[in-house]
Amino acid sequence: MNDMRLTERTVTEGVKISAQGVQVHYGTNHALKDVDVAILDKTVTAFIGPSGCGKSTFLRCLNRMNDTVASAKVTGMIMLDGQDIYDARVDPVQLRAKVGMVFQKPNPFPKSIYDNVAYGPKIHGLASGKAELDQVVETSLKKAALWNEVKDRLEAPGTGLSGGQQQRLCIARAIATSPEVLLMDEPCSALDPIATAQVEELIDELRSQFSVVIVTHSMQQAARVSQRTAFFHLGHLVEYGETGTIFTNPKDPRTESYITGRIG
Amino acid sequence: MTDLSQTAGPVGAAKAASLVVADARMLRRRATEKRFRLMGLMAVGVGMLALVVLLTSILGNGLPSFRQTAITMPVTLDEAVLDKSGTRDPAVMAKVTTLGYGKLIQAALEAELIARNVDTQGLTVKDIAGMISQEAPADLRALVLADPTLVGTTISFDALANGRVDGYFKGRVTMESAVDDGNISPEQLRVAQAMRDIGMINLVFNPGFFTKSDASELRPEAAGLGVAMLGSAYMMLIVLVLALPIGVAASVYLEEIAPKNRWTDIIEINIANLAAVPSIVYGILALALFINIIGLPQSAPIVGGLVLTLMTLPTIIIATRAALKAVPPSIRDAALGVGASKNQTIFHHVLPLAMPGILTGTILGLARALGESAPLLLIGMVAFVKDFPAAPPAGMFDPASALPVQVYSWTQRADPAFAERSSGAIIVLLVFLLSMNALAIILRRRFERRW
Repeated sequence: MNDMRLTERTVTEGVKISAQGVQVHYGTNHALKDVDVAILDKTVTAFIGPSGCGKSTFLRCLNRMNDTVASAKVTGMIMLDGQDIYDARVDPVQLRAKVGMVFQKPNPFPKSIYDNVAYGPKIHGLASGKAELDQVVETSLKKAALWNEVKDRLEAPGTGLSGGQQQRLCIARAIATSPEVLLMDEPCSALDPIATAQVEELIDELRSQFSVVIVTHSMQQAARVSQRTAFFHLGHLVEYGETGTIFTNPKDPRTESYITGRIG
Repeated sequence: MTDLSQTAGPVGAAKAASLVVADARMLRRRATEKRFRLMGLMAVGVGMLALVVLLTSILGNGLPSFRQTAITMPVTLDEAVLDKSGTRDPAVMAKVTTLGYGKLIQAALEAELIARNVDTQGLTVKDIAGMISQEAPADLRALVLADPTLVGTTISFDALANGRVDGYFKGRVTMESAVDDGNISPEQLRVAQAMRDIGMINLVFNPGFFTKSDASELRPEAAGLGVAMLGSAYMMLIVLVLALPIGVAASVYLEEIAPKNRWTDIIEINIANLAAVPSIVYGILALALFINIIGLPQSAPIVGGLVLTLMTLPTIIIATRAALKAVPPSIRDAALGVGASKNQTIFHHVLPLAMPGILTGTILGLARALGESAPLLLIGMVAFVKDFPAAPPAGMFDPASALPVQVYSWTQRADPAFAERSSGAIIVLLVFLLSMNALAIILRRRFERRW
């Protein structure tokens, strides 16, 4: 019994999400070609690459947000903790509670700050009472490094915050459902450098609890926040490995060209 | 210094002589601009002028209908005539018809004229009685039956004046026109003027215009909008209750849930076309379907409400879909991203955000339905309806009229007094429409969210 569990753990040791042969078509457009990747637990993984290379598409496969696009067709296998997330029995709603997402543009609900954070726990029934819900909201906002700025005005509208605060509110909202993986789709592209620094610091802290996957256009950002980096180009996963290795000693000439600014 | 400016001169001259002097091309452009601005101003001016003419004509014609000429006199409610049994039981007293009351009023008026020293030379008893509306006895009877304790006392009663007397004080009837008029004589008008001078006749606010039902050709002074307003209210209720949920459900399904394929495209085109179908066509449909096949009663608000619902649905669906489309997709992403189901996304986030747009569209659709007359003509709502419909839901099946149809039927009557009432009805209708539109604007302003 113990042995079995031990072997089970060794199989998935460190690997949170593993993708094999993932192909995505948008109608006739072949957006993602045969991607294999293993995303580690409690690690920040950065997806970099030029525009239209498929990195966001792949990210949206990981919580099945591509389901909302009628023309998108995903094949291949993506396993979360050894379970195929594209299995017919999997409810994407349940999956998205485990795999949270932060979007490119801050998109708080036009409701109060409190309601923004409390919404996820409410619909998933994660808090049994008002006191518990208050606790969840406070913890999430603290983790998102926003608590001190908003604790006196939780009933103020979330849309009234500054851009950086809104994005941290969205992060708080995403982590309030205690996900296991946090997907971030260019979370800093709409933010100024100071807000970006705050969010990056936050990402580093979140690594202790979640596996974080971040899509970014900025190579410097990838170098700053991630432990592992995947480089996408024209729908292919070109290279995947330690961030340090990718940036200093890339194996593929395309990676090198992109990093040194010759393509992109 | 001088050399420099001289060499620089010709280079600038190649493009334009000077910045302060306009060249021919520039002048032409300015002239075009000026012409266009002038044409725009003229267009707006013509529109404003038309509006002013319309409003002055309607207000000028219609406002007098809110006031009515009344003859004030003390009436002794004789117990021997009104309640022979002495029981004060309304059921027993109801046996006395308006004829009995008419005699009382007539006697009271004659007595009052003598008491106030009004010279009635040249007038017969019948002429004097003819100055009072035929509706006055019915009013007095209703007053007494509502409060039987009045019997035996003397009350000050405001009797409606005849439509011609009323018209004289509103400028519709003149001494000259009365010469050829079989219903009024110059002598009667002279006496009426004398009564006015001593304060027996007054123009007073006329609540009956809003509370009474339609009246026959002979008594325009008693005609009111009560049945029409109630009928319109019933129909609006039906439209709201049916069209809002059906329209919103259809739009949410088409916009948020249905797959985008050829079938939904066909449905979409059909809805857009239905919004443009002439309303009289809906009337024919209602006549065939609701009255001939299903067998619902004619002239009933239920049928009117159903046909107006059919007519309003496309408007509401189009407005609702536009409102749903205007909700940014990032809100849907956000909700789905935290694990909300499709339903939760729609009901917790998308619909509340689209609500102001939906309500605005619904109110504008209702306003259009309120002013619609063509389909109602076909289902028989243009009939003369004297009795008020009962309270809903049973009253939905009783005959009723509607505001725009009442306007139509009054304009068709011979007595010019009805033209005045028709304009008055238009004012009432316009006030309703304007307040609905104002409500729509307020809702939109109030609940508009920015994101």
